Amino acid sequence: MNFFKFKRNKSYCEPDSRLLTEAEYTVVDTELTGLNSKKDSIVSIGCIRMNGSRIHIKEDFYRLVKPHTELSRESILVHGITPSEVENESDTRTVLKEFCDYCGSRIIVGHFICIDIEFINKELKAAGMPELQNRTIDTFAVYEWMRKRITGHACFEMMPGNNALYEISKCFGIPITGAHNSEMDAFITAQLFQRFISYASELGVKTVEDLITIGDLSNKGGNKFCRAEESANF
Amino acid sequence: MIIDEILSFFQQTPPFQFLTEQEQKKIAQNLSMEFYPKETVILRQGGSSSDSLRIIKKGGVRISIVSESGEDVAIDYRGEGEAFGMISLMGDKQKTTVTSVEDTICYLLGKQEFMKLMDSSPAFIEYFLQSHFSKYIDKTYTEMRNKSLFYGSSDHILFTTQVGEIAEKEVVTIDETATIQDAAQVMSDRRISSLVVVQDDDVPVGIVTDRDLRDKVVSRGRNINDPVRDIMSPPLIRVDSKDYCFEAVLKMLKHNIHHVLVIRDGKLSGVITNHDLMLLQGKSPLSFAKDIENQHTIEGLVPVSKKINNIIGFLLKEGAKASNITKIITELNDRLVRKIIEIAEKQFGSAPLSYCWIAFGSEGRKEQTFRTDQDNAIIYANPASDEDHKSAAEYFARLAEFMKESLLKCGFPPCPAGYMASNPQWTQPINGWKKYFSTWVSAPTSEAVLKSLIFFDFRPIHGDFALADELKETLNIQLSRQKLLLGHLANMIVKNTSPVGFLKSFVVEKSGEHKNQLNLKIKGVTLIVDIVRLFALERGIKETSTLERIDALRNKHTIVKEYAEELEHAFEFIMLLRMHNQLAQLEKGEEINNFIDPDTLSNLEKKTMKDSFHLISKIQDMIIERYKPFII
Repeated sequence: MNFFKFKRNKSYCEPDSRLLTEAEYTVVDTELTGLNSKKDSIVSIGCIRMNGSRIHIKEDFYRLVKPHTELSRESILVHGITPSEVENESDTRTVLKEFCDYCGSRIIVGHFICIDIEFINKELKAAGMPELQNRTIDTFAVYEWMRKRITGHACFEMMPGNNALYEISKCFGIPITGAHNSEMDAFITAQLFQRFISYASELGVKTVEDLITIGDLSNKGGNKFCRAEESANF
Repeated sequence: MIIDEILSFFQQTPPFQFLTEQEQKKIAQNLSMEFYPKETVILRQGGSSSDSLRIIKKGGVRISIVSESGEDVAIDYRGEGEAFGMISLMGDKQKTTVTSVEDTICYLLGKQEFMKLMDSSPAFIEYFLQSHFSKYIDKTYTEMRNKSLFYGSSDHILFTTQVGEIAEKEVVTIDETATIQDAAQVMSDRRISSLVVVQDDDVPVGIVTDRDLRDKVVSRGRNINDPVRDIMSPPLIRVDSKDYCFEAVLKMLKHNIHHVLVIRDGKLSGVITNHDLMLLQGKSPLSFAKDIENQHTIEGLVPVSKKINNIIGFLLKEGAKASNITKIITELNDRLVRKIIEIAEKQFGSAPLSYCWIAFGSEGRKEQTFRTDQDNAIIYANPASDEDHKSAAEYFARLAEFMKESLLKCGFPPCPAGYMASNPQWTQPINGWKKYFSTWVSAPTSEAVLKSLIFFDFRPIHGDFALADELKETLNIQLSRQKLLLGHLANMIVKNTSPVGFLKSFVVEKSGEHKNQLNLKIKGVTLIVDIVRLFALERGIKETSTLERIDALRNKHTIVKEYAEELEHAFEFIMLLRMHNQLAQLEKGEEINNFIDPDTLSNLEKKTMKDSFHLISKIQDMIIERYKPFII
């Protein structure tokens, strides 16, 4: 697997000098049939929009997809989506089209976002559509970056295990309901990102470009978080 | 899924909890959400107004304003489930600064959505108007912002009285190692609300108040053998005894406390409490009641009773609801009347026959506000002989004349139409009253209709209440047999058209001194009073106050059943608006009246006003339907 394919983002994007509090984001989470990007596929996509630190609940996006590969037993136990449930859902291509329209040019934010992007791009490619050009921020990479710089804060001192999103979010007082539903996970991630936006300004990180650098997969130190095996975040 | 989380929040948060599930869902789908770390300035005074109503999901905020002297003064704190930013939504400038006091999560309800809700949900309007009036406008906000109030007559005393003049002279202290129980014991023995906690060398280190006992001991089940220092409130907030009382008020507001230490020459010399300051302004309702009880002469009552009017202003600024204000005023006026009767009976000896002193009009309805005419009468037991009748009439004439003069001295002008006990026509044995009533009910001339409007709201104040009850029962029987009078009342109600015209703009006075103004009494209060009285008479309800009548009719009258809450809300709103208007007139030194210029109303007030008038005209239509044959 190539985890560095998004490097290109950096090469031909103008630096984004917007303030963190003024940029527009789409927080994304996907649920998958399994973790092997060669064999598995997307079964649901959940997104929520943020303008600056404001989460727009009304502008949410949640689609179940009829996957073109079989749902693994293991994954069914995690996300609770059964084959019969998705039998009559739209196919991947239709949903991806809607998803791309929904995202527009917004910055895509997610927890271990590289996994989601990898699957989305793979599916896009298979459907003969162009890959995502959006810039991305990985909240887990941002978290790791902040952890090294913020002391005396319990949430930056713990050592999150496999299910990092929930553990970290819980510590920040974000309620965990409907875990492993891609829409709820996107919502939880969005709330976590709200916290990070406020901590970022305390650490002198003001612009989107700064945070993209910190939360970018291609950034040194960022890539190690981008192994699917390290995460149970289907 | 996200919606579920919001819905469960709504289910325990007023006013959302009063909405239907469908309505809740619709709102939830339209919310945004923001996170503010501790000490974030969310809205800034003087900045642009906010685009949404913020509902606190978690955390808390402080609302403050910058006073004339440039000091940032906290005027309110809001916690989980409470909202802020509503006033801002209506105006074009932010009038307060809102800062998060801890990490805070808010749901944001956009301006448009909010306005839609205000349009469609009475529960919503009621809740936000209530908090609008009680939390923002009336509390300290107006006091702080409005110069005329700041330096107006009623608060003037705060600027001219030094703290040392009114602070308790003796400070009761307790050692920091004493137990909580000891402290509570001392406070209850000495009947004081606070103790200064000192270290062994008499150095003050904190203060413990009844609030600490309540909040930190009783409600938390703390061991009362713990040392008192565990629950005291440091740091000590102090004022110099030479400071003006206004400084103490500012400090109380700023620190959200009720007790401030007084220092003289560097040494502790007393404690000043918010109660001291209220007493200074002479406006504590409780102190009035006591003052009235303590008087034994009319001359003694005069100064006390004249202050009753002041209490309205005080209560308005404290953010009281209109109905609560009228309740307190009624209670005080009733006490005053009883006291005067007590003095009269001492002077003239006890009455030859049992009797009941009754009040009617707004006094009968317990709806008195600033200036009220005398409206009273006497019912006495039927005399056995002409002789008895004559001597009773003589006695009551003297009593009534004394009452009229005394009430006048106490600031109640006589009724211009002579509806007073001093008029022999209105001091009658019970049979005389029954005859009056039956005449009015069976032959409702226009004069009879007018009288019934006034007298049918009668309420016993003093003496033998059984006489008043008997009269009321007789009236109800007469009304149930003979509907003609009710028909006339209905006709009169529908002739007083509600001032909302086809163009949805206010119909105001077309000419004269009050051109372009709206009469809140005739077009507002009176209409609701008349409507509700009609319904009460239809069903033989005993209550006399409009709100009590609505409550009693809630399950007995189809129209009231459907519109009870809206009627209550409209009535409270118009009453409150009228009182605020009259207070402003008083403070400007003007004669008070019932006129208001609609242009001075905020959009929200205008809207609520229009809704109220629409409600009235809707009910008028229903009355027309019911009383068709009588409507001319």
